[in-house]
Amino acid sequence: MIPLEFVLIISSVLFVIGAAGVILKKNAIVILMSIEIMLNAAIINLVAFSSYFGDATGQGFALFAIGIAAAEVTIALAILLNLNKLRKTVDVDDISLLRW
Amino acid sequence: MDILEYAWLIPVLPLLAFVFIGLFGKKLNDLNGYIAVGGVGAGMVLALWTAYELLTTGRVYSTSQTWVVLSSKYTLEMGVYLDNVAAMMLIVVSFISFLVVIYSTAYMYDQGPRRHRYFTEICLFVGVMLGLVLANNFFQMFVFWELVGVCSYLLIGFWYERPSAARAAKKAFLVTRVGDVMFMIGLFILFTELGTLNYEQVWHALDTADPTMMAFAAFFLFGGAIGKSAQFPLHDWLPDAMEGPTTVSALIHAATMVNAGVYLVARSFPIIATSAEVSLFVGAIGGITAFIAATMALCAPKIKGVLAYSTVSQLGYMILGLGAGAFLWHNGHYAAASIAFGAGLFHLMNHAFFKGQLFLGAGAVIHYVHTEDLAQMGGLGKYMKVSMITMLISCISIAGIPPLSGFWSKDEVLAVTFEAGDVGLTFMVLWILGVLTAFMTAFYMFRMWFMVFKGQHNEGTKHATEHGHHKHEAPIAMLLPLVILAALAFGSGFSLFIGDGFFGAVYYEHAHVLSIGERLTEVFTSPLTYISIVAAVSGIMLAYFSFYKTNISAEKVVSKGFPKAMHQLLLDRYKFPVAYDKIGYVGVYGFSLLLDKFDRYVIDGIVNGIAAFLTKSGGVVRKLQNGYVQSYATLLLIGVSVIVILLYVVGVLR
Repeated sequence: MIPLEFVLIISSVLFVIGAAGVILKKNAIVILMSIEIMLNAAIINLVAFSSYFGDATGQGFALFAIGIAAAEVTIALAILLNLNKLRKTVDVDDISLLRW
Repeated sequence: MDILEYAWLIPVLPLLAFVFIGLFGKKLNDLNGYIAVGGVGAGMVLALWTAYELLTTGRVYSTSQTWVVLSSKYTLEMGVYLDNVAAMMLIVVSFISFLVVIYSTAYMYDQGPRRHRYFTEICLFVGVMLGLVLANNFFQMFVFWELVGVCSYLLIGFWYERPSAARAAKKAFLVTRVGDVMFMIGLFILFTELGTLNYEQVWHALDTADPTMMAFAAFFLFGGAIGKSAQFPLHDWLPDAMEGPTTVSALIHAATMVNAGVYLVARSFPIIATSAEVSLFVGAIGGITAFIAATMALCAPKIKGVLAYSTVSQLGYMILGLGAGAFLWHNGHYAAASIAFGAGLFHLMNHAFFKGQLFLGAGAVIHYVHTEDLAQMGGLGKYMKVSMITMLISCISIAGIPPLSGFWSKDEVLAVTFEAGDVGLTFMVLWILGVLTAFMTAFYMFRMWFMVFKGQHNEGTKHATEHGHHKHEAPIAMLLPLVILAALAFGSGFSLFIGDGFFGAVYYEHAHVLSIGERLTEVFTSPLTYISIVAAVSGIMLAYFSFYKTNISAEKVVSKGFPKAMHQLLLDRYKFPVAYDKIGYVGVYGFSLLLDKFDRYVIDGIVNGIAAFLTKSGGVVRKLQNGYVQSYATLLLIGVSVIVILLYVVGVLR
């Protein structure tokens, strides 16, 4: 059986990669993908702990999280499509109207 | 039935008239005056009955009710305290008020609908003045003290559309306020030191009290008397107060309210007597006031001005008598002190009668000639026989010619001052001032009398007699009070010989009782008596020769040199009004400006500074909301990381 630490390290690495993508990338779609990576890092954690403690609750949560993530991505993509239609861009630096 | 149990009704009856006239008076027209006469008269009947009961039995009656409980130790009460001093004040206040109200029904008749306001205010005044007399503690006295002050303000400003009247009312209110604040400080000291303000409890607690604090309390209480009784240096409001109707001057500014200060000194007499310095101070203020006011009366151009200065001067005599009494008491001369105490109050009573009479007489004169300027009068005696004779009686009385009332009390005041001079030399100086004042009193009173009733007809007289539609004397409602008061001005001094005599009746402790024969021998074998009589007679003679025979021309005397400068200084009232204005302008207004600056720059500065800081810092911080989603995400990440790291460091996560 794979030790818990290995899985946690993987999920941490994935989380950091996702976070770096969110902060550094300019393309909104890439950022969305990075968020998905971060989400999956968290889901891996859930599954890992579920297996470690021998408790199925974590796996149930993981399934729920995947389902909700799918719904969330649809909404996000719909927003991005609209954005592209209106502003002809998906670059987050170009959409900064909501400010002081 | 014990009448003393109903004594609390005495102020209530005039106050009922006040409420009634105040609410319904507008529609009542002439009836106003009758209601006022009824209310004040009913109060007077009850007051005289009470006073009779008190003076004949010598009882001391007191009731008290808790009014405000501040804490278990400090309680304010309301009650009635009746002794012989209160009885004397009740007689004076209620009787003169009654006569003045009767007089007012005629004197104020031409004021039309305004009489409604006049009678409302005068009834209020009579009620609260009687309440002041009945009070059983200093705080209650203070409450009524302020109320009579308000009435004084309202009535001086009765003709408020005249700027001078409005100014005089303001001045009276503000100047007496200085004294009132001192009175209040005195109350605070007494209350914190003794825990009570009840007269009897205060007097009994004095033996064990801290003498320094008691001296301060006495000093500040006397400060209140300085304001209300128009003593030097707060005397200057009283001459200005003559802007009110003459009846108001007679009642409030001669016979009753200004006596409240003397009454306060009488009530705080034991406190004052604990300190030699304060007693001396009281006597000195009295003597100086008597002298200074008399000098100003010498050349006052208006009839009411003469009487106003004279009032201030005579109040000075009363204070001098009480101060000498307190000083003698402090030095253990209890019998002499009791005479001095009685003498001060005796003069209060006599003065109230003759000065009330003089003011009402002056009112009749003004009613006739429609001017207050002495130079415009003259020769009125032919047309106003009753006023002339009654005023002559009062003038002789105030001048101090035996056997009229003024002689007995003034002589007694001077005698006790002389006696106090044996103990403290200052009183000898004050005695000399007192004798000089007696001389000047006789002079200025007869100057006024000759200028009004004798000599040639001046414009005012001519105008009144030739064009005036009344060639006759004032109506009966005005003459009756004049005659009654003149009779009292003549005879109130004989109360010295009724029963135990005035001093025995008023001063129950250590009473110094003499029989009629002993009293007369004592008075007429003393050289001091003859000194004061000579002073009075020479004053009258001087007035006779300068203003009747005109052997000495007053105009020539003051036409040049030092007398002229002095004359001008006296007309300027020793520059006191200017000094008041200076103090008011430089002191109070300057201080206000300082406070204004403080408010503008320090208080507002702090408030505006905080606001400006928040605006500025907000302006800096809001730049963080730049609309870039990624920068929010970065900050979020950093923030959460910091929190997690901190929690780890602190040890929550370990």
